[in-house]
Amino acid sequence: MKKLFLLLMWLSPAIVCAQGFQVNLNGQKQIGMGHTGTGLLQDGASIAFNPGAMAMLPENYIQAGISPLWFKSGFNGAGTNDVAFTKNRVATPFNAYGVWGPKDARWKVGMGVYTPFGGLTDWGNNWQGKYVLESLDLKSIFFQPTVSYKLTDYLSVGAGFIYNYATVDLQRAIPISDPDGNTGQARLKGHGKGYGWNAGVFIKASPEFTIGLNYRSEVKTNIKNGDAMFSVANSAQPNFPQPNTFEAGIPLPQTASIGFGYTASPKLLLALDVNYVGWHSYKELAFDYASNTPTLQDTHSPRNYKDAYSIRGGAQYKTCDKMAVRLGGGYTTTAVKDGYVTPEVPDANRYYLTAGFGYKVTNKLDLDFSFEYEHLFSRTQTNIESNLSGTFKSNVYIPGVSLAYHW
Amino acid sequence: MKTLKNYLYISAALVLLAGCKPSFENPKGTKGTADFTRYIAVGNSLTAGYADGGLYLEGQQNSYPSIIAKQMALVGGGKFTQPLFSEAQANGSGYLKLTGFTPTGSPVTTTVTENTAVRDQVTIPGFGNVILYTKYSGDINNYGVPGIKLQQIMYGPYGNLNGYFERLLPGAPPTNNTTYLDFVTAKDFTFFTDWLGNNDALGYATSGGAGDVLTDKTQFAQLYTLSIAKLTEKGAKGAVATIPDVTAIPYFNTVTVGAILAGVQKANPTVKDLYISARTSTDIDNLIYAPRAATATDLVVLTFPTSKIGQMVNSPAGMVPYGLTPYAPIDNQYVLDANEIALTKDYVTAYNTTIKTIAQQKGLAVFDAFTFLNDIKAHGILVDGVSANSNYISGGIFSLDGVHLTPRGYAIVANEYIRAINKTYNASIPTVNISNYRGVKFPN
Repeated sequence: MKKLFLLLMWLSPAIVCAQGFQVNLNGQKQIGMGHTGTGLLQDGASIAFNPGAMAMLPENYIQAGISPLWFKSGFNGAGTNDVAFTKNRVATPFNAYGVWGPKDARWKVGMGVYTPFGGLTDWGNNWQGKYVLESLDLKSIFFQPTVSYKLTDYLSVGAGFIYNYATVDLQRAIPISDPDGNTGQARLKGHGKGYGWNAGVFIKASPEFTIGLNYRSEVKTNIKNGDAMFSVANSAQPNFPQPNTFEAGIPLPQTASIGFGYTASPKLLLALDVNYVGWHSYKELAFDYASNTPTLQDTHSPRNYKDAYSIRGGAQYKTCDKMAVRLGGGYTTTAVKDGYVTPEVPDANRYYLTAGFGYKVTNKLDLDFSFEYEHLFSRTQTNIESNLSGTFKSNVYIPGVSLAYHW
Repeated sequence: MKTLKNYLYISAALVLLAGCKPSFENPKGTKGTADFTRYIAVGNSLTAGYADGGLYLEGQQNSYPSIIAKQMALVGGGKFTQPLFSEAQANGSGYLKLTGFTPTGSPVTTTVTENTAVRDQVTIPGFGNVILYTKYSGDINNYGVPGIKLQQIMYGPYGNLNGYFERLLPGAPPTNNTTYLDFVTAKDFTFFTDWLGNNDALGYATSGGAGDVLTDKTQFAQLYTLSIAKLTEKGAKGAVATIPDVTAIPYFNTVTVGAILAGVQKANPTVKDLYISARTSTDIDNLIYAPRAATATDLVVLTFPTSKIGQMVNSPAGMVPYGLTPYAPIDNQYVLDANEIALTKDYVTAYNTTIKTIAQQKGLAVFDAFTFLNDIKAHGILVDGVSANSNYISGGIFSLDGVHLTPRGYAIVANEYIRAINKTYNASIPTVNISNYRGVKFPN
């Protein structure tokens, strides 16, 4: 019971950002190696990294992992001494994969459930930017049934269909005071869905050298009939009709990756991934309310993201048959242009360092730990929409653990 | 048990992680070449924190000098004490409160009359009635006296004519004979802000040019020169502010000729014009008024009881509807007509030239409130996601009297002062967080 309690301490219902609101935490073995995996055959996480690699996996897998994430962001208003920090909330990106195919068959089928996007930023209701954002909790869970086929011993392909279930919960203050001087509150809460696909090719160029290519489509996610809750002083309430609903759409961007794996020795595996994320599709964040008033108009907040790139490298060294240590790192360019940085995603160019430790509990059971540290470069900005002006600094700490059963 | 221990270690590590906030090294603020050991604020109602048609505790607590002083304290500024009303008498003079809206959306205000600090009323011969407030006898750094004109700062008996000044003085009327300027400079100080002069134009304007006069430009210049000389005579540094364009405030831009006319025309479409009693010349000595049709360039005061329009009143031509014929024009006191506006603007421009010239001579910081508020009137202002403008109630900056500011408005003003001070004295007083300050309070 105690064990369970402690494990639960790490869990809380949310998902957080990395690079825009992309979360790169799709497998513990891969995180340990700098989140490389497009060109590797590590385990069932290939469903997310490269469905094309799945048919090449030597075994069948059932696995699950979780990466509790601390996004520690701070804001220092321009010209002020006031510093605000995001609240201590833990997001829990997770991943679960099942891969199966008959022994010696050319094909494998799989199912992946993972969380490639999300964001949890909670600045509280008493900071300088509260009229811009108090908190955003955006979760996105991809369900991806996948098939993969080995064309030859050195070439396999695979593809999966993506169903995305997303929830959003956004809160901000409204600058209307009640008789006690309290501000009004807006809360937009809803869920929605989107569809897409994920496909890849895996090439065993030589016994030592492997190459993976992966493309995951844009997943246009629409939230319909979300609750638009506004609470202001009663006399101002008619400006914000209740009950009300909203519609919003978020285009989760396409990604393309190429990855390389090199088995330098039986003990040492090296990997390199290059990654493109088509963030340019995120032009605006629009909320369309069912009931409008002159005060409550539909909003179209410009985002105008730009495409982002990352390069990642990692290594795995098997210290003995049972144990492996992993190291990695990478650099990612920001998707957010100057003037568009918002407290919902205080994004910036970032580097990250990862480490991992793998332990074979039995021949069929892997226990893997990962740790990732991300540092976002300090960004001093005046937002073009809100005039919120100041410096954002963020660090991210992501421990993780997974269990994989393979046979 | 061993695994449990491991979990505990891991949990402890995670708790440690949770403490790893990014750190900000704020450059330590500096006072630059100024000295904020004793800062005093000289001025009128705006300086006192007057809001919603009254001076009351919450307004005092959000006065711009108190906000500035709090920020000065971060760079070594001294203690700042205001002549606050007590909690028991927190409503001070009484003030306006928004209590609701009419079905057509017009605001309804009522006056708060309980828990005031009114102690008495005296009649001063040759002047009239003066309301007196509970005396304040402690330290004072904020010398804001609602109603005071620059023109009155050297007038000894003024302490008997203004209840807000009287409450700061030890004596009872009619024995007071300390001038405002002597009073504020009695104790040494190292820094001052001075925002006097508004009422020298505003009194004339808000009474529609009927109840008060504009202070003579030469007299204004003499008194301003003299007061700044006195304030700086012991080496104190300071910041002054210009006088806002009186037409930039919602007091003159909320009840418009067009809106009144539209209301009348709804009931009676044949009505073409409103009539006002208007000044015939911009010559200060020509006091002839004549009725004429109102235009959009004439400004109606916020307090005009619009219900008067159309009521049958006596006139030289018999019974006629008020405001709708030249025989019974809207009274002078309710309208700042185009010529009165031109006259007021001319005076304000002259006052501001004086203020800026003298400030420059003395090397003082200047907060150009004239330009700043005109800019807000034209474009609004957007701070930290709050958009504010000069509209009545919804604008968030002006309080219910349409002249004075809300806490949000005063905080914005405080930041402008701070920027001006930082620039002139090479200081780095941190600005204040505007989103902590409210606009107009809406009733439930």
